[in-house]
Amino acid sequence: MPLPDTLKLVKDFSRPSIAFAIARAPKSNQIFLGSSDFKVSAGDLTATKFEPKDLYAHASYVTGVALAGETLVSGGYDGKLTWWDTKNAKAIRSVEAHAKWVRKVVASPDGKRIASVADDMLCKIWDAEAGKLIHTLKGHEEKTPTFFVSMLYTVAYSVDGKYLATADKVGHVVIWDATTGKELSSVEAPTMYTWDPKARMHSIGGVRSVAFSPDSKWLAVGGTGKIGNIDHLEAKARVEVFDWQAKKQVAEFVADKSQGIVNRLEFAKDGSWLLGAGGAGEGFLIFMDVAGKKIIKQEKAPMHVHDFVLSDAADSLVLAGHNKVSQYKLG
Amino acid sequence: MLIALPAFRFSPCRSRPPMRTLCFATVAVLGFCAFGQTRAAELLPNNRPIEVVIDHYGDTLLKTDEITAGPQADDATLIRRLTLDLVGRIPTTAETDEYVKSKEPQKRAKLIDRLIASPGFVRHQASQFDVMLNNTVAGGDARKGTVRDYLAAALKEGKSWDKIFRELMLPNEADPKQKGASEYLRGRLTDADKLTNDVSVAFFGVNVSCAQCHDHPLVADWKQDHFFGMKSFLARTYDAGGFLAEREAGLIKFKPAKGVERSAKLMFLTGTEVKTDTLRELSKDEQKKEKEFTDKSKANKTAPPAPAFSARAKLVDLALKPGESEFFARSIVNRLWHRFLGAGLVNPLDQMHSENPPAMPELLTWLARDVAANGYDLKRLTRGIVMSKTYSRSSVNTSQSLPASKYFAIAKLKPMTPLQLATSLKIATADPTTFDNLKPDEFEKRIESLESAARGFAGSIAQPTDDFQIGVGEALLFSNSDRAIKEFLNDSGGTLLGKVKTLKDNGEIADLMVKTVFGRAAKVEERTAIAEYLQKRNDRPLEAQKHVLWALVTSAEFRFNY
Amino acid sequence: MPRNFFCGSTDHALTRRSFLGAATFAGIGAATGMSSLNALAAPDLAKDLKKNQKRVILLWLAGGASQLETWDPKPGAVTGGPFRAIPTDVPGIHISELMPEMAKRMKTTCIIRGLDTKNGDHGGGAKLMTRGRRDESGVKYPDLGAVVAREMGRAESKVPDYVTFYSQTEGRISGDSGFLGSRYAPMELTSGNSPEFLKRLDGINELDHQQRADLRDMFSKQFSREHSSNTLASHNEAYERVRGIMASETLFDITKEPQKIRDKYGKTQLGEQALIARRLVEAGVPFVRVARAWWDSHGQNFETHQEMVPELDHVMATLTDDLKERGLLDDVMIVTLAEFGRTPGINSSLGRDHFASAWSMSMTGGGIKGGSVYGKTDDKGQKVIAEEVNAANLFATIYSALGINPHKNYYVGARPIPLVDPGAEPIKSVVG
Repeated sequence: MPLPDTLKLVKDFSRPSIAFAIARAPKSNQIFLGSSDFKVSAGDLTATKFEPKDLYAHASYVTGVALAGETLVSGGYDGKLTWWDTKNAKAIRSVEAHAKWVRKVVASPDGKRIASVADDMLCKIWDAEAGKLIHTLKGHEEKTPTFFVSMLYTVAYSVDGKYLATADKVGHVVIWDATTGKELSSVEAPTMYTWDPKARMHSIGGVRSVAFSPDSKWLAVGGTGKIGNIDHLEAKARVEVFDWQAKKQVAEFVADKSQGIVNRLEFAKDGSWLLGAGGAGEGFLIFMDVAGKKIIKQEKAPMHVHDFVLSDAADSLVLAGHNKVSQYKLG
Repeated sequence: MLIALPAFRFSPCRSRPPMRTLCFATVAVLGFCAFGQTRAAELLPNNRPIEVVIDHYGDTLLKTDEITAGPQADDATLIRRLTLDLVGRIPTTAETDEYVKSKEPQKRAKLIDRLIASPGFVRHQASQFDVMLNNTVAGGDARKGTVRDYLAAALKEGKSWDKIFRELMLPNEADPKQKGASEYLRGRLTDADKLTNDVSVAFFGVNVSCAQCHDHPLVADWKQDHFFGMKSFLARTYDAGGFLAEREAGLIKFKPAKGVERSAKLMFLTGTEVKTDTLRELSKDEQKKEKEFTDKSKANKTAPPAPAFSARAKLVDLALKPGESEFFARSIVNRLWHRFLGAGLVNPLDQMHSENPPAMPELLTWLARDVAANGYDLKRLTRGIVMSKTYSRSSVNTSQSLPASKYFAIAKLKPMTPLQLATSLKIATADPTTFDNLKPDEFEKRIESLESAARGFAGSIAQPTDDFQIGVGEALLFSNSDRAIKEFLNDSGGTLLGKVKTLKDNGEIADLMVKTVFGRAAKVEERTAIAEYLQKRNDRPLEAQKHVLWALVTSAEFRFNY
Repeated sequence: MPRNFFCGSTDHALTRRSFLGAATFAGIGAATGMSSLNALAAPDLAKDLKKNQKRVILLWLAGGASQLETWDPKPGAVTGGPFRAIPTDVPGIHISELMPEMAKRMKTTCIIRGLDTKNGDHGGGAKLMTRGRRDESGVKYPDLGAVVAREMGRAESKVPDYVTFYSQTEGRISGDSGFLGSRYAPMELTSGNSPEFLKRLDGINELDHQQRADLRDMFSKQFSREHSSNTLASHNEAYERVRGIMASETLFDITKEPQKIRDKYGKTQLGEQALIARRLVEAGVPFVRVARAWWDSHGQNFETHQEMVPELDHVMATLTDDLKERGLLDDVMIVTLAEFGRTPGINSSLGRDHFASAWSMSMTGGGIKGGSVYGKTDDKGQKVIAEEVNAANLFATIYSALGINPHKNYYVGARPIPLVDPGAEPIKSVVG
């Protein structure tokens, strides 16, 4: 796997909107974006001028795009999941998937399932082809301990597709059997949730990203640290890694040069490093050595990063975020 | 030159002009000239004692406007006022008696000198300056001390006001004698606008925060250029791993209410600019260096090196330079005047500009000139003010009307600060004989320990501001809180109540209580009322005595510095 | 009817007061004669005035709630954020989807969308929006609470006139009675829901408590005969009010409410304080401010509003229903207001910053015309394009709806001070 210090910015594209979600077919230069202009768009990374074309729209922010084979599934704040045939450029179906705002949409590694999470605190597993609801996973409280509405921010599959992880505002992380939908384990990352009863009486943070190690033993969980002034994302980026079966934390990373929240995590396919991306007023990339319990590299990103796609060979990284899409290479 | 302004008041920072037509010439003057620079020849000579000059100008104004000043305060009142003002507490009965009885012609000067030389003076003035500097800003590293710690150490050493200003603005974090000074800036680094305004208000008597968004509509002296000019001196300061650091360069741009974006200069309130080629954004290399310094500071726990060009140092130098130092000098004069007289020569304290002139402009100018020429010696200025007859007037007023505040014809009531009140309560409720026969340093130590014991309760009293309204919360606290009773109304050994319960005669009890609490003899009506109250409750004398003490210490006469 | 207290000369400034034999007098600069005004009001006149005593509950959204996530959503605009707009029970009016309960109650509420108040800093904005004008150097204007307390408070009242709750530590602003003096200064609750020290201690009986206070009074009055200052007057006022305030202790006791009602308001601090506010206005307290701090979402604006707006929505709807059921909604006005709104522009932390050029507030009940919207902002919410409102005419409107003449004068010394900035007119179309 390429080493983190070979990271190099290739191209940087300005966008008029905020890109919240990005998907890319393996070995393709076409990327799909879900953005704050409600649109799902497709763009060609190799084009001289990067001008993504709008494919279709949701009725609000698009927060998740996932590819299952040639089918693109998107989800957004309108609570809907839309299936789109990328080959023939036409809509397949639109489903009233969740009662509240959808926060993330992912595809299982084998492309047969779609998982979505939303602020109705449910994770739903769908048949990627037929669009039918297979499981509804209930494992997160609708209200926080102080009686406010909670949010279910993120979901990820393990590499072998056997497990799913979901994580919420208060730092509760649940690991599920992806096939049966049964809850297998849970871990807590309460540091990533700051509830301030004294100065401002509301909260900030939450676990925003989860990623399984390639052998599925570890689950990395990303957010931010405890915050004093919750008007701002003023703490340093934070990642905790758990042996989720033993319910033990195995590593903890506080990225001292990276202020903000970790919106996305992914392990390199050989497990030699873990990449986290996110931001606050600015953006960052963090490479971590989990076994060695140390941060390998912190790099300033061109913008607050909301999502990224990392190629299987980890030689190509495309970031999507606040008014920008950035392309990097490694190795 | 002084400009005569019409008598109408108008509100600053209003978005629409007032309905009444106001005619006044908008004078575009530099703030410097706006003080109505009185020619030196018109002022009293600089070798006069401060108190003589104060009384001269004060009496002149009274005469011109045909206002009769009230009489001088009596000795008991004066020692109470001086003790509260200088060392933050009421005098003990013994101190009062000695002063009142003394026939020494210079007794007042001797009293003042004794109080100023005592450790209590340093403690009290440090508290007062701490409040003045508005150091309720949160945050702070206990290991770095507090600003109040620094002030106490600085005042103990007799540091002058310009030195204190310099050390607060350019603290040497390695100097143990300046421990706590850095916290003044550090607590304000997350908000450059607040830092700018706090510094302007505290040291220059100028609140330009309105001018942040637009030129001050009615104060010609204060434009956006002034606000951003000041900010430019301060905005390069940042926190490097817990230490104060300053960038080599910086540029503030601002959008005026009308017109295109402008770049701010390093411009002081007088309009004087510091020319520099550092008015630019930091280069990438410089940004990198900044990061390195921050990391190094954190690692080595030392402050990063000062920049070759320090905008903040330039501000300090400029503000103290002869010809530029009027703001600085006038502000400290006004602040100390306000502290002792109960109102400033200019009010509000942060509106020292040409459209808010003092009633005694020559006095302010003379005092400012004097304090600057004498090394900004705070003790000297303090002494001069409290030696004046203007200061020592009585606050008693029995006529139907009160002369306007600006004449200082009648002394103003000053509500006690939380610490003054709590400490004074400790003294007033102690058995007065426990202060007898103490050697001076034993006495001072006793006072200091009473003060420390009082700090807890002081936390439940509000800090007075101008036009302070005492809320019903304070009355409820004294009326119904357990703590107030426990702290001040217990009759254990060494307390006034402990002494009182050994007395048999209700009249005697009344006399002792009034004398101890009010510092004066009881009036006939008072003795009668107290004796009656006690008599009615002779089945529970101890409780009744507590009630009487309560009534005395919660009364207005005790609560105020009159 | 205009009242001319003084002939205008300073010498006779206090003639009225001394004529009434008041033992204390405030110095020049106070609104002299204010307390005596109440005593002067003839009993029948007082009854008439107080017959429909209007009261106000101000929900102060400290820190600046976002108008785009509450009363003036712009879904689909680049500045609109992710939350959509929902229709309400008034055709044509849409509010944020974060407020579904108030959407069913828009018939009771008037939204002002065209606020342009120009002051985007917390301190200055708060001063402006609590008083309806900026302070001058030399005149300290009373805030809304003090004015309503002054206009609606009853001289012999056993309840406080002006109560404020501000329990969080951020941005805390005290109520301020300005030149109206200590009589109308608020009772401030900054920790807990009940004023401290309302209960007489066990070690003293009722009679002694009273007579001990009388003794204290004697000493103070004697001192006050020979001294004068506003602060001195406030000290005496404070003690005079103790017994009256002590009697109102049960009003603050939320356990006196049936559990069903408590459950409706919910377990959050805002819910509990709103319930206490209802108890207070029901007992005749003219003005209660409940501050909900702290909305200053410079980062993570959407997460913060997603968390906080539903609470506001629910509590406000519950309070509206509760007042209606008790027949109080015509007499009690619920106001939501803040120091400013938030920028249409969304920053990199997905936050919104301070914005005073085009923002919203609401008024419910209390003489306001429900089901109305006044003011229009452009499609991105960046500026007001119709029916602009500033702080002065907002306050003129509030006073007018409460039955207070906004153009009446108070007097500071001999100087008449109109209740609102001269020239400011109430919005006639929303005053019911």
